[in-house]
Amino acid sequence: MEFPDTLFPSYFGAGSLREVWGPAPASGWGERGQVLGAGPGRRQCRTAFVPRRGRTGESWEPAEAAAVPVLPPNAGCWIPMLTPQDILCHGILRKKLRAGKFRAALDFTRQLSHFFVDHPEDAFGSLGQLLHKNFFLGDSKLTRTARDTTIRMTALMEEIERLEARRGCTQEHLVPRLRWFSHICRDWLFEVPLGVLGDYVHEELLLQCADLLFNDSPTGGALAWLPPEDAGARTGRLVYPGGQAMNHLYFQDVVLEELPRAWGSPAQFELNGRIRQVAAARVDGEDFIGVRSDYHCGVWRVPGRIVAAPTPLQVIRTSVPASCLTVSPHLPGELAVCTQSGAVYLWSVETGLQRLRRDPQTMFFRDHSPWRWSDFTAHPRVLSYADRTGLQCLDARAPERCHFDLFKVGEEADCQQGERVMLPMYLGRAHPSHHLVTTQFSVYVMDERLPLVPMLKWVHMMKAPPLFAHLTPGESGRSHKVLLGASSTQELLLLQYQGGSRSACQLVGPPQKLHSIAGCLQHLPMQLPHCHHLLQQRLGAPAAGLAATLQNDRSQESLLVFQLSEAGDVFCQRLTHKMAQPPARTSVDEAVAAPGSSPLFEDPASSSLGSGSEEEEEEEQTFYLSNVEVISNDEEDAGTLAAPEEAELPQEPYASLQPALAGPSPGAALRYRRWLKALFKVCREPPRHYWLPILSQKRLFIRKELQSPVGPSALHGQVRQQLRQAMREKGRIQRWDTPDALTPTLTQHPELAEGVDTLSTRLTAAWSGDWVPWWEERMSFTMAQRRRALRERRRQQKRARSRCSLSASFTSSVTYQSELSELSDAAPPPLSPGRPPMLPEEGSPLRGSPLASPAPDEALLSSQSLRSRGIPKERRKTLRDYLAVWAEGHPEPPEPPGSQASQLCIPSSQSSQSQLSSASQPRRKRPRMGF
Amino acid sequence: MDSCLQEEAAAKSRAGQAGSDALPTLRLPCLPPGLCRPASSHEHKLNFQKSKEMCLNYIQDAMLQKQWKRAVEFLTFYIEALEKDFSREYMGPSEIIWRIGSEILWHHSHNGMKEFNSFIEQMKTLAIKRYLKVCLEHVFHLLCNGLIDEAYQTLSLAESWRHGEQTSVQDKEMKLIEAYRGLLDYYSWAKQKHILLEHGQDGFEDLSVEQEMHSCFRKAAVNLKEIIKIPGVWDPFVKCYVDLLEFYGDHDEARQVLNEYAYNSKFPANPNAHVYLYQFLKRQGESKKSLISALKILHDSVPSHELMIDFNTMLQKSKKRKKHRLGLEVIFAALDYAGWKENVKAWSCLAKQLKQIVISEKHLDWIKQEWNSRRDWWPAFHFSRYLAKRNWQENESLSYEKALVAGILLGKDCKYFKYVSHQGCKAQVKRFRMLKKFVNKHNPVYLRISGLSDSSVPP
Repeated sequence: MEFPDTLFPSYFGAGSLREVWGPAPASGWGERGQVLGAGPGRRQCRTAFVPRRGRTGESWEPAEAAAVPVLPPNAGCWIPMLTPQDILCHGILRKKLRAGKFRAALDFTRQLSHFFVDHPEDAFGSLGQLLHKNFFLGDSKLTRTARDTTIRMTALMEEIERLEARRGCTQEHLVPRLRWFSHICRDWLFEVPLGVLGDYVHEELLLQCADLLFNDSPTGGALAWLPPEDAGARTGRLVYPGGQAMNHLYFQDVVLEELPRAWGSPAQFELNGRIRQVAAARVDGEDFIGVRSDYHCGVWRVPGRIVAAPTPLQVIRTSVPASCLTVSPHLPGELAVCTQSGAVYLWSVETGLQRLRRDPQTMFFRDHSPWRWSDFTAHPRVLSYADRTGLQCLDARAPERCHFDLFKVGEEADCQQGERVMLPMYLGRAHPSHHLVTTQFSVYVMDERLPLVPMLKWVHMMKAPPLFAHLTPGESGRSHKVLLGASSTQELLLLQYQGGSRSACQLVGPPQKLHSIAGCLQHLPMQLPHCHHLLQQRLGAPAAGLAATLQNDRSQESLLVFQLSEAGDVFCQRLTHKMAQPPARTSVDEAVAAPGSSPLFEDPASSSLGSGSEEEEEEEQTFYLSNVEVISNDEEDAGTLAAPEEAELPQEPYASLQPALAGPSPGAALRYRRWLKALFKVCREPPRHYWLPILSQKRLFIRKELQSPVGPSALHGQVRQQLRQAMREKGRIQRWDTPDALTPTLTQHPELAEGVDTLSTRLTAAWSGDWVPWWEERMSFTMAQRRRALRERRRQQKRARSRCSLSASFTSSVTYQSELSELSDAAPPPLSPGRPPMLPEEGSPLRGSPLASPAPDEALLSSQSLRSRGIPKERRKTLRDYLAVWAEGHPEPPEPPGSQASQLCIPSSQSSQSQLSSASQPRRKRPRMGF
Repeated sequence: MDSCLQEEAAAKSRAGQAGSDALPTLRLPCLPPGLCRPASSHEHKLNFQKSKEMCLNYIQDAMLQKQWKRAVEFLTFYIEALEKDFSREYMGPSEIIWRIGSEILWHHSHNGMKEFNSFIEQMKTLAIKRYLKVCLEHVFHLLCNGLIDEAYQTLSLAESWRHGEQTSVQDKEMKLIEAYRGLLDYYSWAKQKHILLEHGQDGFEDLSVEQEMHSCFRKAAVNLKEIIKIPGVWDPFVKCYVDLLEFYGDHDEARQVLNEYAYNSKFPANPNAHVYLYQFLKRQGESKKSLISALKILHDSVPSHELMIDFNTMLQKSKKRKKHRLGLEVIFAALDYAGWKENVKAWSCLAKQLKQIVISEKHLDWIKQEWNSRRDWWPAFHFSRYLAKRNWQENESLSYEKALVAGILLGKDCKYFKYVSHQGCKAQVKRFRMLKKFVNKHNPVYLRISGLSDSSVPP
């Protein structure tokens, strides 16, 4: 074991951090670090210097345009993960988070109300039974005798249902009756003590929220590659978790070809919990595989021969979740286990567990995280022991006495403020006394023989903390390849370093980003939107593991990198080694489009996602840096509607500015197609639908009021028939509204046109400098318009009141005539509670005269139609007022054109908008004019 | 009921916010996706900062994929970020541009040094706060490209730079600049010394060269002396300084420097410091005792150091029993490490010493004591059947030494010994037959070492 005879110079400070500075965006670039005279300068005239960083390394080029699936998709539909929108009110205020203060507005209300809705029996069970005799929920009136002991709750229930229906609606008012009821009942209605329940819910929410920010349970990764025993063989074995709950352990033989291919069916073990980590090491020609789930750890042995089946050796159970499991590279059947209680064990299959240390406190300074890690060192009896603050080495023979500090977060390693250890790894295969330590900002190579001083340090600039690492040792003076992987962003970084024994450690070549799983989305064939969304979600799942292997094939050397996602999918990419490296590579650069035509301008949404994963909800944002201009055009309402959906999208870890690379090779394309086919077969379930605010009219009238006075008419029959036909053809129901035109969208056009016009005139006015007069004119215009509309309505109301019977006779005669002339659509169809859009739209070229097809609100408002539904006279005014309120309540344009969903849901508000516009004015008058 | 819940919940969520303050979270380089949304709708209108960040993301992305040209294109846009540099962040856009620009120029430059130099000169005026750092990195780049004179000029210029109050970072950088200048002075001193020595052989003395050499010495010595007082890893500086001192015969100073470098507790436990001291003592022809004590300290801190073989040999040659004992300890400790597993020299050292002890039948308790702490894992670590096979195939002499050790420590029934001796006898190699005979003869030793002798065989 040689030690470099000269090390790069560096300062060594002790103690806590003196320099206070945060993570800087580009601090990994442009530094040589230090230089060292290479030759022994005593007799030489000219000394050559070598830098600590920046020497040219080996060139590894990706062979494919994206990662390619190795195995069929994980069976069992993947349960979507918790998203911030599930538990947070309005996301986290970014500024505060940046400042280091975590203030999430937890959506506590929703979670607690979920409890009352999901477990009503637990919450109200026995009191409900006690009280149910005293609460009357029917429609009828209470008898005089019953009134003494019973309260009629119908109205209250209606209010509650209405409230439910209006959830998410901006115009939500609290009803005095509900307020009154809750004030009376709040103290005794719940059976579960609300305070205690609230505390638990809150605690859980906080935990979940912290997990959303950073989840350390997959640290180490759950993917392992067992190489063939003789280097020439091409069949290795992949060990990975799968199944619906990721609790099945698979050992799959894989043949390394151009694209690695599964061979035979995998050996499978069902375990008792979700597999968090799979660690493997080869000792004496046998592979030992350690598997960690939260409360169980197991070890398997796979003999070197490829046909041999894996045998489970031993399982241990822990009372506190285990946070680490590593397999000894020195002795067969030895593992290191850490639990979140701060204990570290040396676990030998033969002799059992030996506890080396148990300390709930962190080593060098106080940190809240219970995460602990342990790995092996150059000495088989010495284990490293890590928490977030640093690393120590413990001698298993006398752990209390014999230990030394290997790495400390602090001045010694020149750490940043807030820096914490993320993953230590023993680099024994590269050099027996080297260790890799990653933090969320930097990566260090430490040497046991010179503790506390990093042999190598580099700021890795990854967006998420690296939780997975893999070492591919380079033999005979070649560089060692280290892969770093992050979980939530799927980032994958390839670093190369060399030295350590004769010469000092050097980082060589620029770091290289490898394909993420989500990156293959753009190479997949076009999908239907919901399938696309499903795919996006699936491919964007956080990474769960990393493995790699070197393959020598016909003098072509290549590095195969396997990636596992939390959905259980295994992807792979090949990097080929370019031997002769021209000094300036232009081939890649030339393929790259100039920024003017880069995809930056094609997909504002995705590019804005890429910018530190930030979502925009503004009406219009223009960020400029003269040529880099991104305009995200989200209308406000569309923004709020789409917000949950957008947030669900797996966000691409980096800016999605992939240069125009060639598409996938035919083999890869075939793989993609097969994988997609299998995926959609596996995930038959439709994608989740997002809740949209719906204004229900269900409770506007009670059922009795809605019962149509006559029996099933010809219209009913026809409608049913069409419905059946539509069902038979699996078509859409809208078809029989508007068989020949795209009327639903038409209604908006005039308004939109006007809106655009207004804007352009306004801009023109502003440009020419007379914006103020324009605005005044406009204001007066709108005022006049509004006044006119108001006057008009009043007149109508007056007229309607006075000529009630006449207008009724008129309309009824029309209905009668239209029925005669088989214009079935003309009569307002019965207001079915569930389907308001069945109303014919105004202005639609229907098969009736304009006279016979009044606007829907017309239809609603006309007292005749109201009466025909059996609505009592005194309610009609209320109803009209109600609808009028709706008509005026929405001054802003709520929807982008073509948004089907909102049209289906809020017909009344829509038609009311058009009332405001001048275009709809004459229509309103027409029937009366005709009269 | 709902309203009640809402009120309750509102109170709770307020409490929750207060409570979540108490929950310390990890400082992340970037927030996970979906967690960050702008707080208000008016905050980010025309957000220059944001477009800056985005542009930087694109640059990073391009660089990580080695698309230098694309990165350059984005960088030209990023330069506009300088216009509104009001940030008080640690790293302003000027430093970012310097870092990214120089990284790109390393990898993607047509004109080589000329382009790089002009870029760096601009950066020096731009990133005024990091002037010294920029200079230092510039020097490194020049040195790596063999431009030592230019580097020296840059260092001299940087040394005279003053700007405002010096921060501690700048202080450190300044010290480094001086040290590197000292190093370059040393190299020019070495060059002149070389010339002088060559010409000196011809009987020709050049006074000017000699004078220049001495002035170089003075400049180098002053600067190098300064830096090695500060705690750190200063291997090249210490080496050069000691070389200078030795040349001018100032051995006491050299010894003091090396002692300080090796034994000052403020300095990191650098094995090289001990090595330098040991080599210096050896050059000075110091006594065995002081050499051994120097190596003993190295052994205590780094038992796996390569000098342990020398240490062992030295101890073996000694006449004292205590030293022999220490030698056994040293070689056993070295072989504990995975890096020594296949070191033939170390195994032969151990085999030789064990053989001596076994033949003399004295001090078997030494072996016993060393073996006690290793008996549960050495067999699996060193003497498994798999290793026997592999060692036999790959390195016959290694397997011979190891088989001897295994035979002594584990007896003749040990898997390793059995396999290797069997193979050796089959291959008709003489020394393996001798080995087998030796182990068979001394098998009772094994019983005594392993503690079995107490009950079964009388000593």
